[in-house]
Amino acid sequence: MTPRLLEVLSLAKRYGDQVALADIAFSVHGGEVLGLIGPNGAGKTTLLEAIAGLLPVDAGAILWNGRELPPERRREAIFYLPDGVRPYGEQAVARVLAFFAGVYRRSRTQTAEIVDALDLAPVLAKRVHALSKGYARRTMLALGLLSPHPLLMMDEPFDGFDLRQTRAVAELLRRVAGEGRTLVLAIHQLADAERACDRFLLLADGRLRATGSLEELRAKAGRPTANLEELFLALT
Amino acid sequence: MRSRDMTRGRAPLRPLLVKELWEILGGPAAWAMLLLVCPLVGYSFFQAVSLYAEASEAALQSPALASGLVPLDGILVPTFGAFYVAVTLLFPFVAIRVLGGEKESGALRLLVQLPYRPATLIGVKLAAILAAWTVTFVPVLSALLVWRMFGGHLALPETLNLILGHLLYGLLVGAIALFAAAVSDNAATAAILALAFTLGSWVLDFTLSGRPGLSEWIAQLSLTQTLRHFEQGLLSLGLVLGIIACIGFFAALATIWLPPGSAPKHKLVRSALCLLAVLVVVAATAAIHRTFDLTEDQRNSFAPADQRALAQLTAPLVVTARFSPEDPRYVDLRRNVLAKLERVMPNVTIRLVGSRQAAAASASDDAYGEVEYVYAGRSDASRSTSPREILPLLYGLAGVSPPAPLPGTAYEGYPLVADASSSLLWFFAALPLLIGFAWWWTRRPPSSRTLIHFTEVQR
Repeated sequence: MTPRLLEVLSLAKRYGDQVALADIAFSVHGGEVLGLIGPNGAGKTTLLEAIAGLLPVDAGAILWNGRELPPERRREAIFYLPDGVRPYGEQAVARVLAFFAGVYRRSRTQTAEIVDALDLAPVLAKRVHALSKGYARRTMLALGLLSPHPLLMMDEPFDGFDLRQTRAVAELLRRVAGEGRTLVLAIHQLADAERACDRFLLLADGRLRATGSLEELRAKAGRPTANLEELFLALT
Repeated sequence: MRSRDMTRGRAPLRPLLVKELWEILGGPAAWAMLLLVCPLVGYSFFQAVSLYAEASEAALQSPALASGLVPLDGILVPTFGAFYVAVTLLFPFVAIRVLGGEKESGALRLLVQLPYRPATLIGVKLAAILAAWTVTFVPVLSALLVWRMFGGHLALPETLNLILGHLLYGLLVGAIALFAAAVSDNAATAAILALAFTLGSWVLDFTLSGRPGLSEWIAQLSLTQTLRHFEQGLLSLGLVLGIIACIGFFAALATIWLPPGSAPKHKLVRSALCLLAVLVVVAATAAIHRTFDLTEDQRNSFAPADQRALAQLTAPLVVTARFSPEDPRYVDLRRNVLAKLERVMPNVTIRLVGSRQAAAASASDDAYGEVEYVYAGRSDASRSTSPREILPLLYGLAGVSPPAPLPGTAYEGYPLVADASSSLLWFFAALPLLIGFAWWWTRRPPSSRTLIHFTEVQR
């Protein structure tokens, strides 16, 4: 297994009396696709935002290659694509992509490859607010792929896609991971997660219930033929 | 760490600036304000030119009246005044957009992850606000051009000085709006907060101005006060630096409150430190009394010979005025004599001894209305508010003879009888149409030439 790229140590976050994250600890290895699995309200988004340094936490630390990475420096290593965001709605998709490509000094060829991979050409002239849910999601994915960060975290990357689109995007993400990029995907559709991820973190009520590959989770649950859905129900 | 140069503070500024400009100029707020500024400024300009023409007709019969016809007072200040109202009431909505839109859409969470420091993000947003102010200033600039086309006179220094004042005021309002957007969850709350600043200080100015003591000091903090000097044709170094410090203060607060990942406690501590720093800077700028009279008629200065002679009087001058601060005679004295003395003499102390009660009892108080001048151990008193009587008194105290007037041409004024009706067509029809066209232009989709860059995959 590749060395640990990111380590999350005892992360905790409360909103008043409500526990959002309780003593979360796990690690992410270089080049893997890690699935953050849990129902709505499990704390997936809170965890991703805390790791990205976009949410102050009550306790815990993030290590990057074994060294502590303070919140203000997380953006040097990690890029996080939030869910439900339609950035710069008044602008055409092409302008938003050009902005990110310009910031990260991406060449025209690199940008065009991402546009091609996500089949965004038909909507380049459209305003972001006028996009369908699927195209809005692809635009966000394009922004993530334009970023050069070693670790890309995405909140619900398959939301809004039909089955074919989900498979195509999952394949694209596998390809991206194969090129050496590490992905952390928060997914509530377990079938999608099983298709896309190498390893899984099962979250429920802000607590980490289990971690491991599908085989490891099956061994933990004592159910050698169970799918992820059955394992989630058994372990949480 | 991979691609360090792309993720650590070395990203190019151009894409960020272009994005901010598209955001502020591509949205409806700036254009809607521009469309509203057209009739506001246009009607003020029309009225100003009409009144100026009426006064000029009388001045053409009696040339002595012509010296009172000054374009700065007659045309510029009223026209710019309409713009001031628009900036106070509408510009916060435009400025809030540069951050409020990103907050509401969630794009802020992407923005703060880009390889720019928060200060850079806010600096570029302030630049976009400056661009928006420049666009909304177009109707005022066009009014100046129309005035020139009518044959009107514009003195460049006083005009540029007034533009500078409005620019600084606009940036101050913009910085306040930016701060309001940074601390608010949505644009509506930010708008309320920003208007509380702008309208609140307006009310402060109305209610407390002219009152003595603490009220007067508080009234000085009003945003409206920032324009007074510029409208009088004065360029005050201390005031300009003070406004810049305040713009920097609100921009710094916006920078502190921008990153969503910082704990509120840390933000509060940094904000308090910022407040302390700006208080020190503003106190330092308040001690800078250097001002430049940029008016063509030199209304803020004595005659050149007196200016030279008074500048030589380096001993402390103490003026004790027994007036209520709102007494019109004191206002006259302040404008005609004391403010000019403060500008030209190196060491002037003015003491105001009086109150509303004193004004009410002035009929029975013989000393009320008397002004005592103490210079070099000698003193004299006068009830005059005119420099013609007070300057000889000061020369007497200093033991110097009044200077002979320097040769030069007296200000003769610029009477102009012009019919401004045609300007209404410009401000109410032609300019709004042009603005509508420009708005449409900014909202057009990217050209096919631009789009082809995104689809040319090298295989």
